[in-house]
Amino acid sequence: MKIKSLSDLPRDIAPPRDLWPQIAAQIAPSADAAHPTDVTRSRVAGRSVRLRWLAAAAMVTCLAVGVWIDRSLLPLPGNVQGGTSSVATRTVTPGSPTSLDVAFVSDPRYQRQRAALLSSLQAQLSALPPGTRTKVLASLATIGKAKEDLESALGKDPGNALLQELLVNTYQDEMRVLTDVHSASNAGEGI
Amino acid sequence: MRTVSTALLCMALCMSATGTASADDKILDREVAAEPKGIVDISNVAGTIEVTGWDRNQVSVHGELGEGVERVDVISQPGHTTIKVVLPNGSRHHEDVEANLTVQIPQGSELDVSAVSADVAAKNVLGVQRLQSVSGGVSAELGPGGAEIKNVSGDITLHGHGQSAGVHISTVSGDVKIERAAGDLEVGTVSGEVKGSLEGAHSLRVRSTSGDVTFTGRLASGPNVDVESVSGELTLKASADGGYAYELTSFSGEINNCFGAPAQRTSQYGPGSSLRGTRGNGTGRVYMKSMSGELMLCDK
Amino acid sequence: MTAAQAQSGEIDWEGGLVQRARTGDARAFERIYREHSGRVYGLCLRMTRDAQIAEDCTQETFINAWKALARFETRSSLGTWLHRIAVNVSLAKRRKPSREEPLPDDEEGLSADWTLETPVEVREIEAAIDALPDGARDALVLHALYGYSHDEAAQMLGLAQGTCKAQLHRARRLLRDRLGMEVG
Repeated sequence: MKIKSLSDLPRDIAPPRDLWPQIAAQIAPSADAAHPTDVTRSRVAGRSVRLRWLAAAAMVTCLAVGVWIDRSLLPLPGNVQGGTSSVATRTVTPGSPTSLDVAFVSDPRYQRQRAALLSSLQAQLSALPPGTRTKVLASLATIGKAKEDLESALGKDPGNALLQELLVNTYQDEMRVLTDVHSASNAGEGI
Repeated sequence: MRTVSTALLCMALCMSATGTASADDKILDREVAAEPKGIVDISNVAGTIEVTGWDRNQVSVHGELGEGVERVDVISQPGHTTIKVVLPNGSRHHEDVEANLTVQIPQGSELDVSAVSADVAAKNVLGVQRLQSVSGGVSAELGPGGAEIKNVSGDITLHGHGQSAGVHISTVSGDVKIERAAGDLEVGTVSGEVKGSLEGAHSLRVRSTSGDVTFTGRLASGPNVDVESVSGELTLKASADGGYAYELTSFSGEINNCFGAPAQRTSQYGPGSSLRGTRGNGTGRVYMKSMSGELMLCDK
Repeated sequence: MTAAQAQSGEIDWEGGLVQRARTGDARAFERIYREHSGRVYGLCLRMTRDAQIAEDCTQETFINAWKALARFETRSSLGTWLHRIAVNVSLAKRRKPSREEPLPDDEEGLSADWTLETPVEVREIEAAIDALPDGARDALVLHALYGYSHDEAAQMLGLAQGTCKAQLHRARRLLRDRLGMEVG
């Protein structure tokens, strides 16, 4: 096969054999230690029940002082203010299977960007065609509900890797929607 | 000397020709020279944008302009043609600012379209197509250059020809329909429904929050499939030469398949089930996961 | 998700996987391996020019990445981060350094384009790249093949940007001599 540019050379070259078994063998001891067994999960589940009660108490306090704005727009994990926290935002030991150490979410740039997008959300929504505005609000509500359901499920099964992954991805999807709304509200400017 | 100066002046004007039609005309017809693989940039607020690739090194624009449209600029520069619907200051998203544009571009062009509530349609474009609309529908024929489609609430319909290409789709609530997709396909949606037929897709990545996802057809050998939703139903009925290893996981959704393989509980203390196995030689990989959405996998 | 991806509204397909892998989920890390092993091996192979060493390099890259996952910064993409590790491992594994000519001082403008005058067989180009001195080949592979900027390539190789550019000049000149045509 002939090519016209060095950038056309293949970047992916499959290794002659599957190297994963050897890699897995090397990382296995640390993987086993960190991956919870059912016995570990049951102990963790007990602790998570106590934490849920604490979180519920905190939520009630926040309601009383009117801090609660929109469940889907609460401060992010690791960025708790005034004692408000959802079940999934408690910080346990970093690296342990019960912690939701969502790295990108605690990234200060991500937090600043999310805060900026949220603060201008109302104005951006009003710049959209009415039908689109309704659909976007419905989608943001869908994401909010998904986050609630995932966090609630994680409360019962805090070490659940599937739920953690889905929650991380749902936060990302929220960010994507906020960014798309921002771009869409600016579309047509200058036209 | 004066003749040369005049000729140079004319050339300079032609190079940056600005064809403009004012709304008084209501109809615009303009044709400018274009490079065979240049970029064509089209923007419109409301109405329609229909683009077709042809075998001439020219961009031809036919426009039918509504009352509220101030003008349409057609700007031709080396390697870059811009077509822009211009509205009076302060008017956006009003119903009388529609412009219906029919544009023909060199087949090999890269196409960039930006619309608000205009519907976008493109066919016979071989370069990469970047099509964005906020609430308008987007419909395109997939070419070898691939496509990047972005929409907030409008529906997206793509027609492939089984030709390998990279396709990236991002929508919030619009429904997505793809026919005869091959190559690499990525779709992100929140609540829109995603439906597609595959004709040799090598990689398929779909993420949805609540929208249902259904793909049928044929994957390429050694495929890489990753389909995920929180609460949407996920269905993949696709074969692949050499088969694939599969892993389906759901927290509380049902896991079904046509192999007769039973899903296993992942924990004796709580919900969660998974299904892992191999079809054929297992040269590809298929992952499907959900929180509560039902999963269905079949290789025929 | 990188800050850049968040800004553009792009989907980060690996964020959830990284999260799972951080908590010790080897299955998630296997997915990351499957996704990136081709590029990592390709990079190792071109830098080390030995299939066996490239395999070792690939394994070591992923093992090191597993250990360092907690330190993975969301500012860079996962692929780039893995490549950084792969470059370090490759450089460490390389056979004893070859004696290289001193680099030219001239700094004519480097075009970003690495197109060839006429199409050439892939194996001929690969052989020509393979024959380059280590430093020139490293810079060329990272910049022209894998698309890293001068700055990124220089950082990955532990070089000053000027040195990296000089290596690219040398690579271009040597390729031109070997292939008998202008490159870029």
